[in-house]
Amino acid sequence: MLNFETPIQEKKSYNDLTISEVEPIIKINLRSRKREFSAKIGKILSIIPPVESNMSSINDNYSLLWLSPDEWLLYSNNKINKYEEQINLEDKLFNQISKLNQGAVTNVTDHWVMINLNGNKIYDLLSKGCPFNFNDFMSKKGSVAQTIVNHTDVILHNIDKGNLNLFVRRSFSKHLWSWINDSARFI
Amino acid sequence: MFVINCPFCGERDQSEFSSGGEAHIIRPKQPTELSDDQWAEYLFMRKNIKGVQFERWNHAHGCRKWFNMIRDTSNDKIHAIYKMGEKPPIV
Amino acid sequence: MSKELRVNSKYIDQTTRIPFKFNGKTFYGFKGDTLASALLSNNVHLVGRSFKYHRPRGIMTCGSEEPNAIVQVSNDPSLTEPNVRATEIELYEGLEANSQNCWPSVNFDIGGINNFLSPFLPAGFYYKTFMWPASFWEKYEFFIRHSAGLGKAPTKPDPDIYDHQYAHCDVLVIGGGISGVIAAKLSAEKKLDTILLDDKKDLGGVSIYNNDDNFKINDQNVSKWLSNEIENLKKYPNLSIKTRTSLAAFHGYNYLLAKENLTDHLNVNDRKDKIRQRLWKIRAKKVVIATGAIERPLIFNNNDRPGILLSSSIKKYIDYYGVKCGTKISIFTSNDSAYETVLSLYKNGVKVNSIIDIRDKSESLIVKKVQDIGIKIYWKHTVVNTKGYKRINSIELMKLNEKGTGVIGDKINESCDCLGISGGWTPMVHLFTQSGGKLEFNRIDNMFIPNENKSSSEQISVGSCNGDLELDDIIKKTNLKTKEFLDINTSIFDSLKIQSSKEKNKKNIWLLPSDKPLGKTKPFLDFQNDSTAKDVKLALREGFKSIEHVKRYTTTGMGTDQGKLSNMHALGIIADTTGTNMGELGTTTFRPPFTPLTFGAIVGRNVGQFFDHTRYSAMHNWHETNGAKFENVGQWKRPWYYPKNKESMHEAVQRESKAARDSAGILDASTLGKIDIQGTDASEFLNRVYTNAWSKLQIGKCRYGLMLNEDGMVYDDGVTTRLGENHYIMTTTTGGAANVLNKLEDYLQTEWPELDVYLTTVTDHFSTISICGPNSKKIVNKMIPDLDLSDQNFPHMSFKNSSINGVRCRVMRISFTGEHSYEINIQSNYAKNVWEMSMEAGKEYNITPYGTETMHLLRAEKGFIITGQDTDGTLTPVDLQMDWIVSKKKYDFIGKRSLYRSDTIREDRKQLVGLITDDPNEVLEEGSQIVEDLNKKPIEMLGHVTSSYFSPNLNKSIALAVVVSGKNLKGKKLFVPMENKNINVTITDTVFYDKENKRLNA
Repeated sequence: MLNFETPIQEKKSYNDLTISEVEPIIKINLRSRKREFSAKIGKILSIIPPVESNMSSINDNYSLLWLSPDEWLLYSNNKINKYEEQINLEDKLFNQISKLNQGAVTNVTDHWVMINLNGNKIYDLLSKGCPFNFNDFMSKKGSVAQTIVNHTDVILHNIDKGNLNLFVRRSFSKHLWSWINDSARFI
Repeated sequence: MFVINCPFCGERDQSEFSSGGEAHIIRPKQPTELSDDQWAEYLFMRKNIKGVQFERWNHAHGCRKWFNMIRDTSNDKIHAIYKMGEKPPIV
Repeated sequence: MSKELRVNSKYIDQTTRIPFKFNGKTFYGFKGDTLASALLSNNVHLVGRSFKYHRPRGIMTCGSEEPNAIVQVSNDPSLTEPNVRATEIELYEGLEANSQNCWPSVNFDIGGINNFLSPFLPAGFYYKTFMWPASFWEKYEFFIRHSAGLGKAPTKPDPDIYDHQYAHCDVLVIGGGISGVIAAKLSAEKKLDTILLDDKKDLGGVSIYNNDDNFKINDQNVSKWLSNEIENLKKYPNLSIKTRTSLAAFHGYNYLLAKENLTDHLNVNDRKDKIRQRLWKIRAKKVVIATGAIERPLIFNNNDRPGILLSSSIKKYIDYYGVKCGTKISIFTSNDSAYETVLSLYKNGVKVNSIIDIRDKSESLIVKKVQDIGIKIYWKHTVVNTKGYKRINSIELMKLNEKGTGVIGDKINESCDCLGISGGWTPMVHLFTQSGGKLEFNRIDNMFIPNENKSSSEQISVGSCNGDLELDDIIKKTNLKTKEFLDINTSIFDSLKIQSSKEKNKKNIWLLPSDKPLGKTKPFLDFQNDSTAKDVKLALREGFKSIEHVKRYTTTGMGTDQGKLSNMHALGIIADTTGTNMGELGTTTFRPPFTPLTFGAIVGRNVGQFFDHTRYSAMHNWHETNGAKFENVGQWKRPWYYPKNKESMHEAVQRESKAARDSAGILDASTLGKIDIQGTDASEFLNRVYTNAWSKLQIGKCRYGLMLNEDGMVYDDGVTTRLGENHYIMTTTTGGAANVLNKLEDYLQTEWPELDVYLTTVTDHFSTISICGPNSKKIVNKMIPDLDLSDQNFPHMSFKNSSINGVRCRVMRISFTGEHSYEINIQSNYAKNVWEMSMEAGKEYNITPYGTETMHLLRAEKGFIITGQDTDGTLTPVDLQMDWIVSKKKYDFIGKRSLYRSDTIREDRKQLVGLITDDPNEVLEEGSQIVEDLNKKPIEMLGHVTSSYFSPNLNKSIALAVVVSGKNLKGKKLFVPMENKNINVTITDTVFYDKENKRLNA
């Protein structure tokens, strides 16, 4: 097997705040405008793609995030142990969705890096570089926002108040990680 | 900085959006049959008025969807926002 | 501190003495003092020199409107800050402040000679004088630069930390005076998310030190009542109070910027590692402006001497700071408010010498109180002159005539060491107008007030910034307006019992008359810029009509104080002189920021490493460890070249280029954009976006594509591979990745919604390792032994799915160097390992990592373009001599119609050509111009060099260029004129190396 290397591999704690890279997590981008798509996904994953904007569906294994009316991000709730897990899931979805012209399945496991932010001050921290209004978002379980943090595109998944997964593109992740750490000093 | 009510994501800061110029300029279906002048009309000519204008906007850092906006360029008031393919509301 | 000048104050800590330095001398003040109040308590009035005439100037106000007392803070070359208002500097241990605009010292200033030259320095002096003769400009420039500017900029980088923070609230209340406190409380009671800002260290505004018995709320002193209210505000969890926070800008959609000062008041040693200032970016659903009003000066001869202060400031210094501004004080006023100052002084043991009032009389409560004390009031008089060079020592007054247009009778002399002046009040409407609001003129109190009918945003102005100047008006109207604005039925402030004094007699004279003609007097309007009423009148005589022009010509209102004190008088004098109504010729525009912002606050943390994002590939650590020099490509850090043993860039690039062609080279190509394209219409979609045909591309094959804009100009290029029937992967240029995806999404969503196509970016998911050279096949074979690399199975421009040690990869046989080469695409988290494996496998073939510079050189040898370097948005495929890639059969694609517009079919367009220099060792400079006739004047520029290198494989200099009609000029001799020589060049084909493409299959 090849050596596996994610860009951050760190966990840091500050006052009332813990941030850590959580990898490896499977991430698969789903796109479709087909009517049958939702049921098909439901059958494969036992989870229905959310129709409500800025929301997510979560079961034991997966979270499925609304990104736009025809786009969702699927990710595994737990770290995977084996490389094959992502390939098997990708193939299963690709064969039943893409191959059957029901939409597009794209493995984006290494496109995104998932950073978990935990603590009461995480919204203040993000607000240092993010124009998004967290007032309603923070108390809503499972809410999703695609926005910019320190000029970088991110996807935010609010698991619960004070517990949030942030997805940032791999190439931007180191830079954003240093920015988050820098800002966390002043929270 | 406006607050723009994305028809898919709701109210967001303008910095998440990019502007795509005048709306309702349809790409000709048979470009080859157009004269230079007709093609230039499509390609270059924009109203760019002071006042109520129809514009295209993209939620570039959000859902990446394009939509239309009716905006008064003299005071930046947004009168209406509607999806691509929809008829502009009367304001 | 002078004991005689200090009285008790509960607002500052009079038990803690703080030493500070002013102009090198050590003084003491109390904790809670400002630099201004501390200086005044040391009997220091003279703090600076004026800008133009270098006249001695003193502290004039107690707030952000201060025009004179601006100082240079700190002697540290990285921390020093010019133009800080002494009235806003909270005293701290370690404070070092110096006067500005004087040399060698504030007491003896050489520039003071300008004062005596002033008859020769009228408005527009510089404009008029330095126009001619033009050849003298360089000499003038030295003189002007020397006298221009206020203060000194720091010479070293700012070590302080600045921060930004977004905030969202239901209601933002700006100003924590009595109206702001009332509005904030109403909002908080209504359970709205509320932010209350004030620029001072405590809330309360001017009312917090109003202990005057003539003003009562519910039978309590105003001060006491308000302190209680402020104390009660703390109980609201939904109300956030930010003090030392000044509102800088009010933009559309209730987007406001406010600067919070976090450490400027701390002792220097306590500031380390703390944020100095934070810029708040606030989005408020509703805004309540409660910024108050500032007192106006009066405009009379020599009204600028040290010791002349605004009357309300004298009141704050005595009531709040416990400082007497003088011991022999006179007051000169046009209104009742100055009488409050007289009463405050009296309470603290200073009996005012005399009051000069331009009105005939006043029948209000407080005036009566003052008369009862027995203070001499000169009704219907004006001050016509003041005396004393570095401190006022006397005033001259005369009686006004019936109309107030001249003076009559004998001159009266009064000695004094301080003069309080009050010309009425100017509501702080700056923020209202910044948000786009229009003003209206109130003729009773001669002030501009917000016209809220003409405001489009969700906001109100309350209190004196709305033109309400009397205590009962302020409270009642603030309560009413806020209730209506926030939809509140009943309020705790509905039944307050308010006792107030009412002003009944009003009079206003913008420019007070004198016994001397205007030309012989100095009635200053703008104290900082030294413009006088005379200058404004001169500007009008010279034909300037618009207020904006008068302002620029005379520089009135253009100082660091932005005319907070002077604008109204300038407008008034213009109206009087031209016989127009106030504001008829326009009002000046108040632009953000309200008070100057530091650059630090504006940029926040976006400095140093956070100035811009940096993107790293998965192999970045390897490049770094192996000594790569990096180039910024977009936001990416890409290896530029890998110098060995102290090689120069040229040496490294020559070695790398040679190795890539002789044996094997390896490149990190991960930065190229990659878009996953799926859907039943994917082929049709590619047909529409690329110039060439895609329908017949077989699965497993790659094709180079050129993408145009609708105007026919080349936009981007790259190789796209057909992975399946309805599945492609497109590569874009590194810099174009995001734009191409946006553009394609745009077409899919808006022009061709009928197409069943989905785009997903996978740029970061895959990393790309490109291995090229005659030995590349052997290396890839060692790494992936299962993959059949024979030309039959895996020809040029094809792709294979494969795996390396169990991890899937996509291998493309494509080439940007002209060599036999492979691109391995693998998930990024495994890519560094695969790169290391490639290096290991290639060891025996001297595999050489190369950077962007070598890549550029190698492709130039082959004449491959780089969009953005050889193209600039003005070249069509035909201009690039790439006609072969433009499908004639396709009915339409983006930009097709533009390719035969009359302009694009011109033969004399600039076209891409190759250039070789007569001297093979002469390397052209990229960007240099190409000409044919050196003697023709003006020289005709035929084009320019777009790419240029010394090719080690050809052992000569090569270049690409765009040249007018270049296509037809093969063999033509031209010149590249440089500073010292003309370089002879010949136009050639664009392909310099391996024209037959034999090496691709070598």
